[in-house]
Amino acid sequence: MPAITGGPGPYIYVCTRMRVRKAKLIQKDEYQRMLNMSLPEITRIIGETAYKQEIDELATSFKGIDLIEVALSWNLAKEYQKILEITPGTLKQFTRSYLRRWDIQNVLTILRGKTQGIKHGKIKEILIPAGSLGRAMLDKLIAEDSVDRIIEALRGERMYPVLAAKIGEAKEIGSFSKMENELYRQFYADVIAEAKSGIKGGELYLSFIRLDIDVMNIKTLFRLRADTFEEDPHEMFIAGGVLTVNDFVRLNVIKDHGEFIDALRMKVKQKTLVSFLDELKEKKKVHDIEMSLTRVQLDQMERMSKLHPFSVHPILVYLEKKKYEVFNLRALARGKESKLASERISEHLVM
Amino acid sequence: MAAELVGTEVAAQTVEIAIKSQLGMKALGAGMAVGLTGIGAGIAEMAIGSAAVGATAENKDVFGLVLILTVIPETIVIFGLVVALVLWFV
Repeated sequence: MPAITGGPGPYIYVCTRMRVRKAKLIQKDEYQRMLNMSLPEITRIIGETAYKQEIDELATSFKGIDLIEVALSWNLAKEYQKILEITPGTLKQFTRSYLRRWDIQNVLTILRGKTQGIKHGKIKEILIPAGSLGRAMLDKLIAEDSVDRIIEALRGERMYPVLAAKIGEAKEIGSFSKMENELYRQFYADVIAEAKSGIKGGELYLSFIRLDIDVMNIKTLFRLRADTFEEDPHEMFIAGGVLTVNDFVRLNVIKDHGEFIDALRMKVKQKTLVSFLDELKEKKKVHDIEMSLTRVQLDQMERMSKLHPFSVHPILVYLEKKKYEVFNLRALARGKESKLASERISEHLVM
Repeated sequence: MAAELVGTEVAAQTVEIAIKSQLGMKALGAGMAVGLTGIGAGIAEMAIGSAAVGATAENKDVFGLVLILTVIPETIVIFGLVVALVLWFV
């Protein structure tokens, strides 16, 4: 990837575009309004915002919750591809590598869909072709008639060695969870290697990834504590953050909640995470903790993007915020479809 | 007598050189005032211009506003020009 020459102009250009796009995202008060609306009203409101084109295009083929689901997925994929188009030089490289996580999600969705015998069309609806695997490639994977052939079709892709190595075990235990863990571990290892490869701006990218890894590891620790069955913490740990594997295993065996929070607090360096942990002295539900952690992570990412306004941070913050906007709208639509109370739905929104 | 004439000639030449170099320094100062402020404005406009194009690409309604913001650094060049004119004519 050629480095940007001729000064900081391209960085300023693209970061300003990201800032404007971020300002156009749905705000908290709009979500509050939507909580009191019915599904058709929500569809209409979504159709008046950035999702207009997708809602209009798909309105003849889908309706109700399906229309919202597919329109949101298409819009997210289109938005991410557009960002890849406009980002210059090394920023494009970092953005592309960050978006590769969608490949993992898409491939796992196809594998799970295939093993559960779900129809091709239904699998296609929930795919988000935002990574390096385009719509055509994903269609080709869906059309394959067995899991082995899907994996064979991915030969040459970065994830292929892990898929080929883990598919036997996954078939044996009837679950892709271990394969998923391994794919994410490989993804983060690749991303860290790329950030450390000496490319300009790599350090800032690394700080962003480290925060992501820290938050993921903390979420995993809380999940492991809430689980009733024993799982091997070594398999769940993602290297590269502030916690080492030994810290992770040691923290996992602490039974007392207060003691666990204190020990974790000693390890975490980020001020926002420390103050978040201070508030967790009282026991909370895992779901609430995860949602709060996501909000803390987004706040911290926002702060980092303000500290480095012309770096990869504003782009990544926008990618994350856009992702959560889609998640929120999906949660809202699904919640309304299932006739859940507004308070219950709002617990699932990242605002 | 001859020595006195030579002394007067040397003194006249020294005054002439001093006047000419003063003029040269003025011209240099005026040139630097305009040139350096021009470079400064260019650097400032590079950043503002990039941001302006980015903002306009996302929202065309802000074109008028960002155009004004982009030319604000031009005022530095006007200051430079004023300094140059003062140096040259006053």
